[in-house]
Amino acid sequence: MRVQGVAASPGIALGPAFLLKSKDFKVVRRELSGADEAARELKRLRDTIDSVDADLSRLAKSVEHVAEGRQIVEFLRLLLRDPVMQGEVEQRITDELVCAEFALSVMLQDVMARFRELDDPYIRERAADIRDVGRRLLEKLLGTEKEALARSGEPMVLVAGDLSPSDVAGIDTGQVAAIVTDRGGSTSHTAILARGMGIPAVVALGNITGVVSPRDTLVVDGIHGFVVVNPAREELEYARAARAEYLEVKRSMAEDAQKPAETADGVRIELSANIEFPREVEQVKRCGGQGIGLFRTEFIRASMHGVETEEDHFHIYDRVAGAMAPDPVIIRTYDMGGDKFRPGMAREANPFLGYRGVRICLDSPDEFRKQIRGILRASRHGNVRIMFPMITHVEQMRRIRELVSEVGDGLSREGIPFDAGMQVGFMVETPAAVTALDLLLPYADFVSIGTNDLTQYTLAVDRGSPLVADLYDPYHPAVLRQIDQVVRFGHAQGKWVGVCGVMAGDPLAVPLLLGLGVDKLSVAAAVIPDIKKMISAFTIESAARIASEALSLPTGRDIRAMVYSRVAGKCPGILLDENLGIGR
Amino acid sequence: MKTRAITVPNKLGIHARPAALIVRKASEYLSEVFISNGVDEVNAKSIMGVMTLAAAGGTTVKISAEGPDEEKALEGVCEVVESGFGEEML
Repeated sequence: MRVQGVAASPGIALGPAFLLKSKDFKVVRRELSGADEAARELKRLRDTIDSVDADLSRLAKSVEHVAEGRQIVEFLRLLLRDPVMQGEVEQRITDELVCAEFALSVMLQDVMARFRELDDPYIRERAADIRDVGRRLLEKLLGTEKEALARSGEPMVLVAGDLSPSDVAGIDTGQVAAIVTDRGGSTSHTAILARGMGIPAVVALGNITGVVSPRDTLVVDGIHGFVVVNPAREELEYARAARAEYLEVKRSMAEDAQKPAETADGVRIELSANIEFPREVEQVKRCGGQGIGLFRTEFIRASMHGVETEEDHFHIYDRVAGAMAPDPVIIRTYDMGGDKFRPGMAREANPFLGYRGVRICLDSPDEFRKQIRGILRASRHGNVRIMFPMITHVEQMRRIRELVSEVGDGLSREGIPFDAGMQVGFMVETPAAVTALDLLLPYADFVSIGTNDLTQYTLAVDRGSPLVADLYDPYHPAVLRQIDQVVRFGHAQGKWVGVCGVMAGDPLAVPLLLGLGVDKLSVAAAVIPDIKKMISAFTIESAARIASEALSLPTGRDIRAMVYSRVAGKCPGILLDENLGIGR
Repeated sequence: MKTRAITVPNKLGIHARPAALIVRKASEYLSEVFISNGVDEVNAKSIMGVMTLAAAGGTTVKISAEGPDEEKALEGVCEVVESGFGEEML
């Protein structure tokens, strides 16, 4: 049976299904027969704690190179090893003669209730960590399925309703052949992370969790966005051949990876990578990225819960800048709000039109200064650029330039080295920033277009709403005209223009963006080889012809079809789909 | 038993990260170590206990230690608190 969804991360994979159901635990109160059984139950509890601790210490090793990851795991281990809590559970087992699961879940409920009553939001938020540790323990005690994934020898296809970014970040690429989910969109955070890790993914499959049974064989086509459940022999053979072809193409591209991106007529295009975590730097280098075009920093807040210091910021940025030097690293300041990282934030009817990006940062200048100071100090490597999200008003850029100068002056006074000529830029994500760009540009050295947000704000389409997702289309003429206008405004004032949205990583969009005059592209590391190949297939002139023809067409569908017809055959290595990156 | 009262010197008080630092230090000693905010007293080797104390910056807490190395334990834990956990001070 074939189920159509939305392609979220390219690649073809096949393997047995692994269903990840987020079900509630059913903990039953089991009475123990007496002291002997209680003693065995105590041993079972302690063994389980040891075993979870061993898992956590392995996890700690694998995130050793990431300070923030290490801190999270260390904290979980302290929770796990809490002597008072363990004492309470053990006492309940021996006094009341109940099983370890029950005693543990009673203790967890008590602790969670106590935490909910606390006034301090920072501490209240840690209840999530306690729940996480509690879950791990209960899962081990009950012997549930998540453990099986860790034990399974062969890579499996992860089937889930939805995955949170932390679920995806915790996935071991060696165990997971592909990801398929009921919900989500091609630009969701999960899709972006899966692409970053090079794991094929298909999302928005409707009810794939209801259709698939454990151990069913699945074929996942992350290029065309479909899944085949228990394929017939011919389908299986076809998938194997397609997979082999895809891997061969990947391999030959990897060989070309270290060459710079150049058009057919020899024009160098700066092709860099978007990253979420410092550990991705290795992958960027392996894939041949010539820098970091977008370093998202929100994970720092997410992992440190608002207590991050200037030193925390500095060390993270300094490590990435040092590892990438002399290639450029564009660090984007916090872009909280919207659909991401909202804990503790007031509810809003329209979060995307509400409190997000610099709107939040400019309200807490002390916090903002810490981040800016951390970035400026990391600029000592000479390759750092700073970028601000969600700029709509000239007042915001004025205030930001003041802050950056203030922080720079402070560093000079203290004799701390930094790059006084560090480039300052901002994201173009709203029609306001596009149409009034000439007024904003005097405050910047560059701009980078965030095509996901620009598309959703231009078309007034919430990309997360399935009711309107089919209207979301970065190839819509209104979006292309805005990109065109940004390039014109930018070049008129001698500023460079980059694109760092999902669109830049769509091979089909490459001739369009180059033809419109975009100077730099920043994409998920895993697609760099594809994009590089695509760049090499066109001269600037041929790309410009495609772009100008696109600007004359009335619909996104027409534009995609036209570009597709120009691109098809030019790069037999790249598997193209004219619907790639678009909702149904 | 040795006891000392000290003021929490950092702005954000004893939230998760400082609590972890206190627990790690207290666990280095054989003695029992307790922290009290005047209302509740918790075991300083229990991360959940120290966190639920939720001692805000500027408040006074009483730290006590009892056992074979109680002087060292009290000294060690007080030092961690007095350092402000490497954070912004009040």
